[in-house]
Amino acid sequence: MGSVKIENLHKQYNGNTALEDVSLEIREGEFFALLGPSGCGKTTTMRCVAGFETPTSGNIYIGDRNVNLVPANQRNCGMVFQSYALFPHLNVFENVAYSLNIRRFYEGGLGAKFTTLAHMLNRKLGKVDRVTEQKVRDALDFVELGHLADRLPGQLSGGQQQRVALARALVMEPAVLLMDEPLSNLDKKLRNVMRVTIRQIQQKVGITTIFVTHDQEEAMSMADRVAVMHGGRLVQVDTPTALYSNPATKFVADFVGSSNIYNGTVKGVNEAGETVIQVGQNQQLRSTYPTSKKDVEIIIRPESIRLFAGEAPANEENILDGTIELSTYLGPTIRYDVKVGELRFEVDTVFEAGSPILPSGTAVKLQIDPNRVVAL
Amino acid sequence: MMKRFLSQLNGLSVLKWLIYLFFFIFLLVPLFSILLVSFTGQPVNIFGSFSSQKIFNSTIQKLSNMSVEAYTSIFSEGNSYFAALINSLELGTGVAVLVTLAVLPIAYAFARTKMPFKPFFAALCTIPLIMPTFISSHAFVLMFGKTGWVTQLYHSFGGEGVLFDVQSMLGIVLVQVFFFFPYALWPMVAAFKISDVTLEEASQNLGARSWYTFMRVTLPLAVPGIVSSMLLIFTVSFSDFGTPIILAPKDLNLIVVESYREIAGFFNWAGSAVLTVIMLIVAAFFFWLQRLVIKGREYGTISGKPTKQKLNDHKGTLVGLTIYTFLITFVPILAMGSVFLSSIATTWGHHALPDGYTLDHYKTIFSLSGKNIWNSMVLAGGTLVLSVVISTFVSYFVVRRGSSGLDFVSSIPLIVPGIALGIALIQTFNTAPIHLTGTAILLIIAYTIRRMPYMIRSTMSSMMAIRKDIEEAAVSLGASTLIAALTVIGPLMLPGIAAGAILVFVTVIKETSISILLAPTDWAPMSLAVFQNLLRGEYYTACAMAILIIVIVIILQALAKKITKDQLY
Repeated sequence: MGSVKIENLHKQYNGNTALEDVSLEIREGEFFALLGPSGCGKTTTMRCVAGFETPTSGNIYIGDRNVNLVPANQRNCGMVFQSYALFPHLNVFENVAYSLNIRRFYEGGLGAKFTTLAHMLNRKLGKVDRVTEQKVRDALDFVELGHLADRLPGQLSGGQQQRVALARALVMEPAVLLMDEPLSNLDKKLRNVMRVTIRQIQQKVGITTIFVTHDQEEAMSMADRVAVMHGGRLVQVDTPTALYSNPATKFVADFVGSSNIYNGTVKGVNEAGETVIQVGQNQQLRSTYPTSKKDVEIIIRPESIRLFAGEAPANEENILDGTIELSTYLGPTIRYDVKVGELRFEVDTVFEAGSPILPSGTAVKLQIDPNRVVAL
Repeated sequence: MMKRFLSQLNGLSVLKWLIYLFFFIFLLVPLFSILLVSFTGQPVNIFGSFSSQKIFNSTIQKLSNMSVEAYTSIFSEGNSYFAALINSLELGTGVAVLVTLAVLPIAYAFARTKMPFKPFFAALCTIPLIMPTFISSHAFVLMFGKTGWVTQLYHSFGGEGVLFDVQSMLGIVLVQVFFFFPYALWPMVAAFKISDVTLEEASQNLGARSWYTFMRVTLPLAVPGIVSSMLLIFTVSFSDFGTPIILAPKDLNLIVVESYREIAGFFNWAGSAVLTVIMLIVAAFFFWLQRLVIKGREYGTISGKPTKQKLNDHKGTLVGLTIYTFLITFVPILAMGSVFLSSIATTWGHHALPDGYTLDHYKTIFSLSGKNIWNSMVLAGGTLVLSVVISTFVSYFVVRRGSSGLDFVSSIPLIVPGIALGIALIQTFNTAPIHLTGTAILLIIAYTIRRMPYMIRSTMSSMMAIRKDIEEAAVSLGASTLIAALTVIGPLMLPGIAAGAILVFVTVIKETSISILLAPTDWAPMSLAVFQNLLRGEYYTACAMAILIIVIVIILQALAKKITKDQLY
């Protein structure tokens, strides 16, 4: 087991910058997600850790060891690939046993080297030793695939292949587990199941895990901490809840969940210490976010706005008058598109059985807590 | 840990440089030395120059006497080299044009009509590729020669003399047309399939008749494909050795035969070097031309779904095309049948059919020529092993490590005619320090180099089918790249390698020019035995051996096809 430390990582591909000054510290046992749109550098970062890419500059430590010069096959990083990359000519058992056989080949004596190599070339030649056998069986039982040990990967479903890939990476007891978009090849239902499975397995083993994904829902639901990347740079590293409620930039706010984003002008600070910001022609919003800038971006999550068909309860919160333009029923929630002056607000309210869905044209009041008006 | 890594890294790169060294010694240096010889007019010992001061001095001496005289004299009046070059160019052009015209209707029939028996005709079209050309040539003698059975039939219908003289330019052209047409057929079928059907429909919509549509729309769209296969046929015909060596009369100079006589008959090094260089230049030029044509052909070839084509089902057209296709594809079968009949004939030549039948010729070849069969197997086996090793690693370096240098070097043999490669190797390895001329080793190396581009193509495609992350997975699980290649990439490539290896084996057994030029008496393979028997007039045993070659080729090719079809994963 080990922590991972990345210091000032730079990576250039024939003149193009893929990574710029990325520094991260991933704690031991942590489930850490690298999140961002395609081309943001998340996969490159992970491949640098795995040793498949050589950084242009910077340091990578696994545990206390600087691994800059350690080749990929000696970094002890278990990796689960997007396509699973199972060896199609080996059955499930031999796939999982691969790393153990390789270890025996390198560390064993001449006789062990010979028999192991022969066995890897043709599994009918020679046998795996009892320790290997037991470890592989345990790993397969752990992912609940013990009964499929003799199958070829091509005979398994996507979810099963995924679990074989996981078992294959875990059986070598790696210092770090690296997962590259492991769920993107599964259908939606299976993806949700595998999310839970992977998270549970990670918790049980307690292994440091780096998980690359472009799906914010995946990152938020699985990871202890999430690093959002954009254009080769780190934008924000935080826990999912912090990331959601306190996005560091407009990009993060936009990428992580949906947001209402407006440009505003700071008018001053009122006696309660709140920043008063003018939005649009003549709307004013109070925010508890301190800011020194004049022109700011305002970010409000759709579910942090409350909507009232009649009078809103009197309190210290922002109140806006608006008209519903569109109501969309989404199952557990209702999404209202509300027009306030020339601004549009997306508002999510919880759908309760029996309560009506307000039709378009209804005049409403919007109530927004100043604590949840993010000004950047 | 670090040490282990370095030693493995070196293992791979050492391998890469060894392969470069192989091509350098056995391909580049010979070609370069042939070029030098063509200027100096005297043998040049390149390897010797680096091992001995004396040879080095004499080489310098020779190089100082370099002149272009050998080349300028070619263009003087009555030079036989010039005549040979012109004749060869004429032959190549004639065959290319005739094949194109002959194949055009068949290609159209395959691609665009509902012609019946397509699979049957496709099977017939493999026959020409199975037979080595010098055997096909002899088959034509058996059919159209003075005592050939076609001639006999012709006589029985009241004809006199022969239909045409087989031992002439016309004979050579006809053999090559009937035995090289499959090389042009399949690319042309593809060209016809590519052409955009919607354009044709548009033309018909605008009121054009179908033949007009064919001439003005279908044909022009297929032109690049047709031109490219025409150029291919030219190169194949120009470099072919088997047909001219059997059929060229004494007064017909062809560049392949001329250069063979210069080196094997008169030991004229300078002359054969000049001819080799000329051959190489012509072959390279036409190869380059063909690449150029293909390059411009990238329109509309790749679309997601194959557009559904309306196939021509006009009755009259179909009947005509079927009969025509049958006539063309049936000639090679008749030729093969003639060889077979000859192999079991007591004597043949007085009537259309043999006078009697016997298996004695087969007994003879198994008792007297068993050594040749054995030699062929050993040589082909050796070539197979060497080819597999080299081509597997070359494709690994090219596909996985992006080594474009190896890609280029290993495809050079595509443009080197067999006879040219043979002459270059003979001259380069004739003396110490690397004296290999007349050994089986040089023969195996020559076969390997000659078939390398084809073998690499087959290993490369199976290498490309293996995703890179499979290899990375092995590495992340602790394997070095070398061990990953051995335990994962290797086994996955096996079917592709096996199929390619069998095809290498087949072509070595068929190979004519290299065998005739390089094989020492102790190591004469089957093809050389057939050739020598033909020269000695032992036609029946030659035919029996030829049939044996054909049977081996058919069996092995079927096996290779089965292996590629049965790919497991």
